[in-house]
Amino acid sequence: MMSAMGDVPALAGQAQRLEIQADVGQLAAVRAFVRDGAASLGAPPRAVGDLVQAVDESVANIILHGYRAGPGQVIVEVGRAGPKLVVRLLDNAPAFDPTALPAPDLSLPLLRRRPGGLGVFLVRELTDEVHYRRTAQGNELTLVKSCFDDEEEG
Amino acid sequence: MDIIVENAATPAGDPVAVLKLEGELDASSYVELIERARELTQAGASRLLLDLSGLLYMGSAGLFALHSVAMLLRGQAPPDPELGYGALHDAEDLDETISELKLLNPQAQVDRVLERTGMKRFFEVHTDRSTALAAF
Repeated sequence: MMSAMGDVPALAGQAQRLEIQADVGQLAAVRAFVRDGAASLGAPPRAVGDLVQAVDESVANIILHGYRAGPGQVIVEVGRAGPKLVVRLLDNAPAFDPTALPAPDLSLPLLRRRPGGLGVFLVRELTDEVHYRRTAQGNELTLVKSCFDDEEEG
Repeated sequence: MDIIVENAATPAGDPVAVLKLEGELDASSYVELIERARELTQAGASRLLLDLSGLLYMGSAGLFALHSVAMLLRGQAPPDPELGYGALHDAEDLDETISELKLLNPQAQVDRVLERTGMKRFFEVHTDRSTALAAF
């Protein structure tokens, strides 16, 4: 479950980095980049799968809601901070804080729900921490999966 | 994502359109599924079976598509994803389960997404095609 509390984990200098155009056609490349990057760090497959989906949902939101399907760039960084697998998403879209959105009401019958809204829910479910901050450069969203043993830190 | 449509039938002979999804269902491809279902329902299809065995990834956009396809099968207009959901209003007399749309053989990641988001309450998930067809 999400926690927006505490400090944003600092990514070490060796974080892997991908820059894409804000286009949903790039989402497959983003998923592959995160999958490969997290796997190369030795993260467990289940944690990798969860983080890949959380990133996919988050980048889709940046493209569709942040940039409103207009032009822009998104930077994806993958790295490790101690026991934490960390993905940082940077964009220049207008301020968009997905952590501030209300959770959908999953108790409602399907056809009484408004479609959509499940992306942010999944991001919260699939990660251990989500941090949002607005910086001088734009939006910064950090997704964290705590999946390494402390002893492995290095 | 590729969508392969096949005409099948229940044991009683009622037609069922089987849509085999192959690849990844994400924000770049979900509209294809809605549009294909729209074509089929406009042509008279009233039972759809989604074969998910070849689907390697499903994001929330895919859940939006499932929801929209369910609405199409109930004769409701799904929201235009480009315009947002403001025009949507509640329908009445709706069952919890969407019996006209069933799912077949989701892989592990897709199955987990359906489970986590509570979608399995609304859609039957089958592992055998014959059983799925007989359940309509």
